[in-house]
Amino acid sequence: MARDYDHLFKLLIIGDSGVGKSSLLLRFADNTFHGNYISTIGVDFKIRTVEVDGEKIKLQIWDTAGQERFRTITSTYYRGTHGVIVVYDVTSGETFANVKRWLHEIDTNCEFVNRILVGNKNDDPTRKVVLKEDARRFADQMGIQLFETSAKDNINVEEMFNAITRQVLRMKKEESEKTVQSNETVNLRRGGKHSALKKGKCC
Amino acid sequence: MDPTALIQGKLRPGEKAIVVADAGIVQDWVKSPRLIALVEKQSEHALIIFSPQNIPVTCSNDVSFSNAIPIDHEFHCDPAFSKRKGPIPDFCWVQDYWPLCPEMDSSSAYDAVSVNDIAAIDLCDDAKGDGLDSDGAVRRRAIAMGEAPIAARESVVRYQMAQREGAFTDIHNFRIFVGTWNVNGNSPPASGLLEWLACDSEPPDLYAIAFQELDLSKEAFLFNDTPKEDEWTRAVITSLHPKARYRKKKQVRLVGMLLFVFVQERHDAYVTSLGGEVVGTGIMGKMGNKGGVSIRMEIHSTSLCFVNSHLAAHVEECERRNQDFHDICSRLSFSNFMPPKTIKHHDQIFWFGDLNYRIVGIESNAAKAKIDAGNWSELWSKDQLKQQQKDGKSFMGFNEAPLDFKPTYQYANNSDEWDNEKGRAPAWTDRILWKGDHIENTKYRSHPTLRSSDHRPVSALFNVGVKVIDPVRYRKIYEEVMKQLDKLENEFLPQVTVDKLEIIYDVVKFLEPQSKTLTIANTGQVPVQFEFIKKLNDSYFCKPWLSINPYADFLKPGEKRDIELRLKVDPTTVARLNSGQEQVYDILVLHLEGGKDLFITVQGDYQRTCFGLSLHTLVQLKVPVSEVPTGKLLELEADRESEISACNAGVPKEIWLMVDRLYNEGLDEDELFFAKQGLDVEIRAIRDALDTGTPAVLPGNVTSVAGALLLFLESLPEPVVPYRFHQQCLDSSSNYIACMRVAAAFPDHHRNLFFYICAFLKEALLHTSKNGLDPRALATLFGAIMLKEPVGSPGQGLPARTEQAMKARERQKANFVYHFLVNDFVDATGP
Repeated sequence: MARDYDHLFKLLIIGDSGVGKSSLLLRFADNTFHGNYISTIGVDFKIRTVEVDGEKIKLQIWDTAGQERFRTITSTYYRGTHGVIVVYDVTSGETFANVKRWLHEIDTNCEFVNRILVGNKNDDPTRKVVLKEDARRFADQMGIQLFETSAKDNINVEEMFNAITRQVLRMKKEESEKTVQSNETVNLRRGGKHSALKKGKCC
Repeated sequence: MDPTALIQGKLRPGEKAIVVADAGIVQDWVKSPRLIALVEKQSEHALIIFSPQNIPVTCSNDVSFSNAIPIDHEFHCDPAFSKRKGPIPDFCWVQDYWPLCPEMDSSSAYDAVSVNDIAAIDLCDDAKGDGLDSDGAVRRRAIAMGEAPIAARESVVRYQMAQREGAFTDIHNFRIFVGTWNVNGNSPPASGLLEWLACDSEPPDLYAIAFQELDLSKEAFLFNDTPKEDEWTRAVITSLHPKARYRKKKQVRLVGMLLFVFVQERHDAYVTSLGGEVVGTGIMGKMGNKGGVSIRMEIHSTSLCFVNSHLAAHVEECERRNQDFHDICSRLSFSNFMPPKTIKHHDQIFWFGDLNYRIVGIESNAAKAKIDAGNWSELWSKDQLKQQQKDGKSFMGFNEAPLDFKPTYQYANNSDEWDNEKGRAPAWTDRILWKGDHIENTKYRSHPTLRSSDHRPVSALFNVGVKVIDPVRYRKIYEEVMKQLDKLENEFLPQVTVDKLEIIYDVVKFLEPQSKTLTIANTGQVPVQFEFIKKLNDSYFCKPWLSINPYADFLKPGEKRDIELRLKVDPTTVARLNSGQEQVYDILVLHLEGGKDLFITVQGDYQRTCFGLSLHTLVQLKVPVSEVPTGKLLELEADRESEISACNAGVPKEIWLMVDRLYNEGLDEDELFFAKQGLDVEIRAIRDALDTGTPAVLPGNVTSVAGALLLFLESLPEPVVPYRFHQQCLDSSSNYIACMRVAAAFPDHHRNLFFYICAFLKEALLHTSKNGLDPRALATLFGAIMLKEPVGSPGQGLPARTEQAMKARERQKANFVYHFLVNDFVDATGP
């Protein structure tokens, strides 16, 4: 029987309060945008099915409360996450400065996870304060892909989610190849099982 | 419960549920569960469809009627292929169910079901409304009741894509040549077959070429092996239209029936899912001297089926021919598909061959005269096939072009003369029929110049429309469908709203419970199971000073539930709040099963009290607690390990105040400490008096003061007997001297308080005649409080103590205190 999807990935959206995490999710999952701001008090998720290279991928995208006081609770939702979307607001330098803290939060709570940096609200050049070059430099330093989006004007949202999905998919494939390889090592070198497993783990 | 027995319970007497199967009905965007029962009554059958009202289905009331469909006694649901024998069933009993079936009403197509109309019932097809905008068609109410969850997404996608097929397919024209020839066991003519197969100016895209009586030898019949097959194959291949290159896709043969399909090479890649099957209907109803051979395939997205059949011979065997037709329909199935496809499961069906229907009701010579005069159209009404079709007995729903050519049977050998030997009228035995959409016939003719058989070959040319999927449009629509399904799936996630996300209590005081109500409303489309869940590092879903009722429940859409959040600071929680180790602040996680989590903040301003302060702090406080700055208090509480100077090691003034009041007014009180608990309101007044220092004389009744004293001692974070002496006290409880020795080792402030309490109790015991106090009872009460079980001590880490062991410990505690109530302990207080 045909399965509804080939992969199920869990993505997490984090970032300061008010940068547009929920709006990005709403745009991507329901293709809608609401101008009035409602702070997310909790964690909510939506699903969306996409096809990448002919494979059906079901994304379960978690939107988290950005407020500081919920930080310890939201950190528990990192478990089992395949990809994290770190969002800042291009019209607020403070939210960009805080990206470092959010990246640190990821490091504390996840072992291996794909990350992507997103500068949202990129629809009004007159209000933009975080320059793309600066963000790009920082992202390169951190080895993360950067996207500038607008949930309001539907700019780059699909592209951004597609990019993180591809990253996650690529990582999953590489991992399974690795597993296959390490299994082969086990088969070829009898008795060398221990070292082979160790190698598989640390790379 | 066995579903068959359950369904049987819904039926009327005389009706029998033969089998019950789980099924589903796809309507627009959802698939709902159904049960299908095959029901029999007096050898008539019907499918009765039930919809479950509760899942799992456990009793007859859990299912209701949703549809009742009679089926004829050969289980043919498709009128075009159905053929009945014997009396026509009336199905009155089935019609009796229709008023009970809501799904019947929704589809007027079933209003006047007669047996003839029992169409192939496509259960997918009774959805109303269509398209992306008709959200109203989504059966939200049913989903809300949990009846129809979004499930089997794949089948919904397939259904939706099928509904929208027109939007992403183009119709491409294909020219199909169909030829059939009964060759009467002869070899191919030396001149080849060009005048039959290549008589048109333009080459067809596809050839379906059929032969009958390829080989009449016994070997061919018995061993199904014939050298003629190769001869004819070569002859066909060399006679295909010279203007195009062809590839043979498939060839099937049963005895003398042979069928080829060729396509032009340029279409080769688009021809897929080929299948070939044969059915014998000859001797014994099974042998291959009669029957059919068939090839099916898909060209782009259109499925085609070609059937070459040789039906029963002889004028009088018309019924037999009809039956052969039906047998082929029901028995021929392409088994390499799951589920197997039969002939009718195709978009376009071409049926041809020596069907053997004759011209009847006219004398042979009269018929020949009409034919020779070119008036054969006058014989059309005498044609058995036309008659059977008209009567609905055979080839129903099939089309045929006008028979604008001479009958093709039976000719004398190698001549254009009729074979007069048997004196039969000539007949159009060799025919080509079709069924399906986008088929246009352009030619229908015989080829009288090929004289090597007693039949003449016949051919027909068709322009057919083949569905070709445009990948770009397909993808776009596929994505739309997926998005719509995602949207629905998101809509059907559990949703609630709460009336507040922050719960703020008034000033929080010891022993003054406060309740707040949180209202949870299910504003989503599906039932919600909600629950307050614990956070990662917590062992419970809320702090010990809070209770949530109910902490979990089930809400139907539109339902609301009031949750009581009761905050109460009691002796077990007061100390941690006093010391600042804990705040009246918590974030509750309200979890919706299969959905989101909401964070609900609970907070209040805590007012510190002397209850629950450590003895260490209490003895150092010279002023009432309300006059001590919070910072100072927290500092003292944090510094509980420091030495207390001897001058500071007296009894806390709060305890002194309570004991003093009891000493002055309570010693004669009947059953002091045991009679009544004391009034909450008075105990609170006593608390305020102790915390603020006013009024100087404690308010309330002496029983309330006694209750307050017990609470005070109980609230001490470290009891009167310090934890580190706890086990020692129990161990020495059988020996007074040993007990005194342990007590003498208590830190000053603990020892002083211990003896102070014991001295007071001894005093009270002097008034036994009035107050009725008993030293054993007092020792038990105060032993439990003053030797409170260490929290988190090694003893607590052990597996739960047995009730017996606990009782033994309680006895030891009582014994320990008892010694000091009945003995003189002056010596023990020495240096």
